[in-house]
Amino acid sequence: MAVDVYVRRRAINVAAMLLSGLAAAVGLVFLIWILWITVKNGLSALDLKLFTRITAYADEGGLANAIVGSLVMDMLALAICAPIGVLAGTFLAEYANRTKLGAVIRFLNDILLSAPSIVLGLFVYVIVVLPMSNLTHGAVSFSGLAGAIALALIGLPVIVRTTDEMLQLVPGTLREAALSLGIPQWKLTTQVLMRAAISGIVTGVLLALARLAGETAPLLFTAFGNNFMVANPLDKMASIPVAIYQYTNDPNPALHAIAWAGALLITLFVLLLSLCARWYLHRHRVTHD
Amino acid sequence: MIEDAALLNPPPASAQTVASAIVAPPPKLAVRNLDFMYGDSQALNNISMDIPEKQVTAIIGPSGCGKSTLLRVFNRIYAIYPGMRAMGEVLLDGENILDTGYPVHKLRSKVGMVFQKPVPFPMTIFENIAWGIRHHEKLSKSEMDVRVEQALRRAALWDEVKDKLKRNALGLSGGQQQRLCIARSIALKPEVLLLDEPTSALDPIATGRIEQLIEELKRDYTIVIVTHNMQQAARVSDRTAFMYLGELVEFDATEKIFTKPAKRQTEDYISGRFG
Amino acid sequence: MSSIPAIAVISSTDRRSRADARHDAWFRRLLKVCALLVLAALLGAALSTLWGGREVLFGQGLHFLTSADWNPVTDTYGALAPIFGTLVTSLIALVLAVPLSFGIALFLTEIAPTWLRGPVATAIELLASIPSIIYGMWGLFVFVPFMARVEPGLSATLGRIPLLGKLFEGPPIGLGLLTAGIVLAVMILPFISSVMREVFQTVPNRLKESSYALGSTTWEVVWDIVLPYTRSAVIGGIFLGLGRALGETMAVTFVLGNAYNITSSLLMPGTSISSSIANEFNEAVGTHRSALIALGFLLFVVTFVVLLISRLMLRRLAKREGA
Repeated sequence: MAVDVYVRRRAINVAAMLLSGLAAAVGLVFLIWILWITVKNGLSALDLKLFTRITAYADEGGLANAIVGSLVMDMLALAICAPIGVLAGTFLAEYANRTKLGAVIRFLNDILLSAPSIVLGLFVYVIVVLPMSNLTHGAVSFSGLAGAIALALIGLPVIVRTTDEMLQLVPGTLREAALSLGIPQWKLTTQVLMRAAISGIVTGVLLALARLAGETAPLLFTAFGNNFMVANPLDKMASIPVAIYQYTNDPNPALHAIAWAGALLITLFVLLLSLCARWYLHRHRVTHD
Repeated sequence: MIEDAALLNPPPASAQTVASAIVAPPPKLAVRNLDFMYGDSQALNNISMDIPEKQVTAIIGPSGCGKSTLLRVFNRIYAIYPGMRAMGEVLLDGENILDTGYPVHKLRSKVGMVFQKPVPFPMTIFENIAWGIRHHEKLSKSEMDVRVEQALRRAALWDEVKDKLKRNALGLSGGQQQRLCIARSIALKPEVLLLDEPTSALDPIATGRIEQLIEELKRDYTIVIVTHNMQQAARVSDRTAFMYLGELVEFDATEKIFTKPAKRQTEDYISGRFG
Repeated sequence: MSSIPAIAVISSTDRRSRADARHDAWFRRLLKVCALLVLAALLGAALSTLWGGREVLFGQGLHFLTSADWNPVTDTYGALAPIFGTLVTSLIALVLAVPLSFGIALFLTEIAPTWLRGPVATAIELLASIPSIIYGMWGLFVFVPFMARVEPGLSATLGRIPLLGKLFEGPPIGLGLLTAGIVLAVMILPFISSVMREVFQTVPNRLKESSYALGSTTWEVVWDIVLPYTRSAVIGGIFLGLGRALGETMAVTFVLGNAYNITSSLLMPGTSISSSIANEFNEAVGTHRSALIALGFLLFVVTFVVLLISRLMLRRLAKREGA
């Protein structure tokens, strides 16, 4: 009888362990499956004309305008969200660490981090695209700038959070040492604390870039898309994710090939960026403990 | 004014101390009925003491006795944390530094502080010293070079770092970092130097060098050192204060504290019977 | 001793002190404004979609939520089909992802050899870094054909079970709610599993050790000690995944089939709030556009509540950790 119970418990344990290993295997299979398909299809479509020709040539074309558009909007988005995010994160860590306001903002920032990106796109449509269109009588409506603002909203919470966390890792003695020299708080913050946390803050910015560079949904009704090469952020602007979206929706298989090539580019970029950032953050944390 | 203060607050009445009070210089720092609250708990209870100029005053006592707290009142560094209050008076050259009208900036340029663990700023060795000066004075490049060199020489660090001023200060050894922190403080030409257990994170050799340095610095500065190491207090200080449970139990010439303490508690602590 | 320079020095340090205080105040204000922008972003997203969708939200009222009739030609907009699709696909995703994530977290905290834990954990988390448009492409070109081959088998086996079988009837075309749910499950897997892994690691070793000392198996320790100890955070992690699934757009829009259907079969095409917005917005005008923005408002409110619950649950464990 006792032996029976023992055997049963052992069997359950072995089954649970096998199933958990299986679960991990399932996760890995999907990762490898998706990456393998992307690399295989992307590599076979990778071609020099991808970088030299614009989407206006359709299946004879490339992604040059989408690549430029993505670069312009991603950089513009970073230029908007990096300073705001770093300053907001600094506020949380240095001025509002134990206050109610700080707790509320930190809490809501975590929610913004997972908020549906398509709604953020609608938000920017209502507050940027529509007013611009009304103001200019339709001359400017969808624009790269609007797209960049939508992307900035995706990146902002990432930067706020990493800056906050990284500044909290800076030892308090550094603050006391600088203040006891009669240095004002703002100088201490910008010249000592941020310098001590700079690698972590930069990593946060890279993580934000990795996140916003792959976003499609918020660009659909902000930057829209464009078959021609533009660098003016007040124009409709193409981007790699939106080009992939449009080509995937098209029945023409030649366009699917270009979409796969774009998918490979964006995936490689995002994965490398987030891998580097992770590795860096991890190393940073370990040395601080 | 200063004479008046001395008359109003005569030192403890034993024949010996009255005699020494006549030749003793006027107090640099005068603490008057100081209470300190940490939230609802009282960390310092009615402390009064005169800290003489250009001497080393040591504050000893078991941990939690309030010795670090007292030190942190002298440059109001406690005020960066919410919920801490100091009541009473601390007179620096006759002016009450606890008065909200007393500018913190001025106070901290006159009263420097060195902490338990060396905390170099994440900059070059040169910048570690120049950065603080720059906030208080406008100096030309050559004047700044001279000031940095002076400070490093004063802290007995110049010979070790003169060839690597452009290197990151985090690359120095613990003892060198602590001397850099002392150099950083004295570069502002303070009048008082507060040392909060400055050697507790250092090895014996580095500790010896810092103690030697304290000995030299007292010619120019009024030094207050908090230490948990009684031998250190005996070696470096002229006067010693013994604190227990937030109260100042006894404050007298170091020699007297360590040989003929007046209070039973002091004797017990010195002889290692508690703490 | 001349007293005039002394006074001059003091007044200059006083001025310096006042300037410092002023700069500090401005700096603090600047930082605070930036931090408040985070609040403004959330509030703005809610208010702007409420404003943009006011025509439909206030014009149609409850009808918008209860009607399944979505017809731009007649300008009638009932959101029930997209709401149904969003809820069903998210539910499928949770049903699949929760046990898988639990298994992965268990594997990574208790079972795998130490050298394997780091690489496998990173690999699983990489799933979260892949852009959602890639999931969409892979879903459409690879996973949909795959499901089209699997679905006849599902209909033939699970479809025969009484009641439950209703879920697996229909044409095996690959597109549909089930496929979208599976793609979503893969997407939210890394979020749920990394929360679970992190909170499992917070269980004090003495708790686990004392249970092992009584002769418990690994499974019993996890089920009887680790899970109860971390329950609120595990639920928080599940809600985090749910919030992600509800709002996801690009991964589902290709594989759902975009049909305003409410059916009992998971193999039938459907639609979701986010994919309706993505598909129709740029061709929509007037009331249609307002209806889509109103859908966005709905989506935002629902995900906000779900994420709010998630964060509150996650915070409970963090608080106990601190105590």
